[in-house]
Amino acid sequence: MDDGEKKEEWKWKKIGEELERERKSMQKTWRSRSRSSESRGGGGEGEGEGEGEGEDEGKWAGKVLRECAKAISERDSKKTQHLMWMLNEVATPYGEGEQKVAWYFLQALFCRATQSGERCYKTLTAVGRKNESFEAARSLILKFQEVSPWTTFGHVASNGAILEAFEGEGKLHIIDVSNTLCTQWPTLLEALATRNDETPQLKLSVLALPLPVPSSLIKEVGQRMEKFARLMGVPFQFNVISAFSQITKEALGLQDDEAIAVNCVGAFRRVQVQERDNLILSFKSLSPKVVTVVEEEADFSISTQEDFLKCFHECLKFYTLYFEMLEESFPPTSNERLMLERECSRSIIRVLACCGGDCCEIRERGVQWSQRLTNAPFSPTPFSDDVLDDVKALLKRYQPGCWSLLLSPPSGIYLTWKDQPVVWASAWKP
Amino acid sequence: MPVDLDNVSTASGEASVSSSGNQTVPPKPTTKKKRNLPGMPDPDAEVIALSPKTLMATNRFVCEICNKGFQRDQNLQLHRRGHNLPWKLRQRSSKEVRKRVYVCPEPTCVHHDPSRALGDLTGIKKHFCRKHGEKKWKCDKCSKKYAVQSDWKAHSKICGTREYKCDCGTLFSRRDSFITHRAFCDALAEESARSHTQTVAKASPESDSKAVTGDASPPAAPATETPAPPPPAVPVSSQSNSVVVASSVLQTQNPELPENCSQIIEEPQANTAMNGSCSSTSTSTSSSTSNSNGGASSSVFASLFASSSASATTSLHSQTPAFTDLIRAMGHPDHPADLSRPSSSEPISLCLATSHGSSIFGTGAQERRQYAPPPQPAMSATALLQKAAQMGAAATNASFLRGLGIVSSSASTSSGQQDGLQWGQQPVEPDNASVPAAGLGLGLPCDGSSGLKELMMGTPSMFGPKQTTLDFLGLGMAAGGTPGGGLSALITSIGGGLDVTAAAASFGNAEFPGKDIGRNT
Repeated sequence: MDDGEKKEEWKWKKIGEELERERKSMQKTWRSRSRSSESRGGGGEGEGEGEGEGEDEGKWAGKVLRECAKAISERDSKKTQHLMWMLNEVATPYGEGEQKVAWYFLQALFCRATQSGERCYKTLTAVGRKNESFEAARSLILKFQEVSPWTTFGHVASNGAILEAFEGEGKLHIIDVSNTLCTQWPTLLEALATRNDETPQLKLSVLALPLPVPSSLIKEVGQRMEKFARLMGVPFQFNVISAFSQITKEALGLQDDEAIAVNCVGAFRRVQVQERDNLILSFKSLSPKVVTVVEEEADFSISTQEDFLKCFHECLKFYTLYFEMLEESFPPTSNERLMLERECSRSIIRVLACCGGDCCEIRERGVQWSQRLTNAPFSPTPFSDDVLDDVKALLKRYQPGCWSLLLSPPSGIYLTWKDQPVVWASAWKP
Repeated sequence: MPVDLDNVSTASGEASVSSSGNQTVPPKPTTKKKRNLPGMPDPDAEVIALSPKTLMATNRFVCEICNKGFQRDQNLQLHRRGHNLPWKLRQRSSKEVRKRVYVCPEPTCVHHDPSRALGDLTGIKKHFCRKHGEKKWKCDKCSKKYAVQSDWKAHSKICGTREYKCDCGTLFSRRDSFITHRAFCDALAEESARSHTQTVAKASPESDSKAVTGDASPPAAPATETPAPPPPAVPVSSQSNSVVVASSVLQTQNPELPENCSQIIEEPQANTAMNGSCSSTSTSTSSSTSNSNGGASSSVFASLFASSSASATTSLHSQTPAFTDLIRAMGHPDHPADLSRPSSSEPISLCLATSHGSSIFGTGAQERRQYAPPPQPAMSATALLQKAAQMGAAATNASFLRGLGIVSSSASTSSGQQDGLQWGQQPVEPDNASVPAAGLGLGLPCDGSSGLKELMMGTPSMFGPKQTTLDFLGLGMAAGGTPGGGLSALITSIGGGLDVTAAAASFGNAEFPGKDIGRNT
């Protein structure tokens, strides 16, 4: 990219003073505003987004980005251009946290302003795909698990609920609708192998949509799983399903004596909004013993123009937390972290710049998912104390003081990062 | 020098149970030890069936003054003395007390059968609690659960102080990270590929050495050089066929599944042994089955350099359990063939065969694979993982030995020694001398590291006899499996309740209380 050289050339030269002045004045107003709004509730609804970061002088990106988004929604092209230019001067994906946030959101805002979101997303995805390999995906996921409970939180909670639901069953079938490449399952296999009663048979049917997961990759993962299950002594069968439409009793080849569990990690958000209830109904039709649902906690539901600002704030807030988490969890030069950030950048474009198209990513909060599940109807099953203990024990091993568990009866638990709920996990029974 | 096995078992944290209960032959001081198989009581003993309630009961004897509860009446009586209440200690009425054995009240449990009763009360209590009880003791740090408080205490002491190491060299302080990593690590994939090719290369030497072993063994029996009489070892070598070895291993390893055993073992003699000829009569079969360490130790000690088949058999013997588990874990009899690709299941079992460097077991293992019973429910999967790691190392070693004729690099010494012994039987082998040296762990830097690895991983006691570890500590270099017992006891006492150790104990010994740890080692 030419931004690097360009930046070296121009930075603080031509517009340096203006920029500085602008930034300082913005920070000043922002700070005073955030102080006055200190007393707002934790719900994070409405216009007051993200102002909690106000006391930190370094947090300039959010402020400028918000201004920029506001200008876009007001169709103020002069202001938009000005702010984007300014952002472009300071943002970089290789800098510190604020610069990264600025970079990735600027990219999305630019796409939105120029209505090139889908194209940009597809380009980025294609670029990402070029570097995709089993090795890269593995190191990415495992490294992330090692430094942060972001994914392992859901794994431990779901595995706990699944194991409890499978208690005493001899033939198990897990329908895995998730995006974690089976990294959830080794510990479950181990737990099954050490179960008090007879070691059960396990079938694992993994949904791998060809688009996000290349088939070579899932094949490799499947081989690992088979090998590992053999090592653990768990009779095991691995199936791949390649479309949501295959989630039926027939297509999955469910047998009457099988105990079914549906594991749904980060899957709902990949489904079109209008398809979501159908997906839940299709789960229901499998008569599972348990359905475990894990989703990142964010509300990115935009369709209309007014919603854009709200969605932008929500998205900015979520990813500011996420980038902060990455920054504090990974070493500064981690390649895995860069990959995760690039993944985010694609997601941000989908959320903000795809305007309801096929690529558009619409996330809902735990309560919204709960509503959908309750309508099916599924009933929420609280995690047992044992499972909660497991989760707490898990969180203890990560960075102290940052992670905690938040109970939200009746339907599920939250992982919080510095007291902000970021991941939601829940278990459901028909 | 050989280590007293009783000390071994009591030293290991969980193995606090005396083994005198079903031991019909009083243990002879050092050299010759005779132990019964776990859960194979004296047929004359009185069989006692206690109710689950009684078994789970804690503090049944309650002081009427202060309500303090005691597990034993004797203790209550002593306590009453403090209250100045009348108290009375039961006296042992006579020396001829009839032995008692205890059966498990759970009908589906193998120890429900009087022929598989356990030899003492504490043992049956712990067994019942571990296997059929609720795991109500939970480690704060790792949330692993235990049914027996003492297990939990032992675990809590060392939880988090240990590291798990994958074949690829990565260290993990957390068990679940290690498990996940292991599943995805290339080491797991490479392992089977590697041993597959190796097996192809080794196929013919294997059968050659089999012939050598079979024919040459009896004359090479080390009786003349042995200071202590080695009767247990001789029968082993004289009937060194795969069935006997296999049966004894299976028996030690898998006492829960007698039906499977008998399915597998075709030789009636071995069958007899399994069905409980664990009595005092020191028949050749029963000693070969029951003394994985003890009986043969003296002869091993004496004859390590004699290239005797007896020691070969013993080292085989002591090594076998570790791999048997894997075989069992990997073969799924109830697993329809179409569930797993045959091509990938094959390498693992082949790897097992080759890593022993022994044709005797090699054949046995492969045959047995088809019948391998399903894995036991309470096996420690982590132990399995680590065994797999060791297996990988052993397999490499074998290929090194065969290919280069020298012992080098990261070879596991235990397997090196085995190979050396085998080679010793082939007079033409020029490297004969260097191989036992490797076995002794002299001057090979890698021995130290592999020993270290095992130590760091808290080698389960059943791995004790592996000479790798021995060498690291410089214990009883020539003494075959026996000092391994001592080391394993050491390890066990350090890490009595480690995940792996504890689980491996319950795995290896299945239903028996801790005292049985010593038997496998």
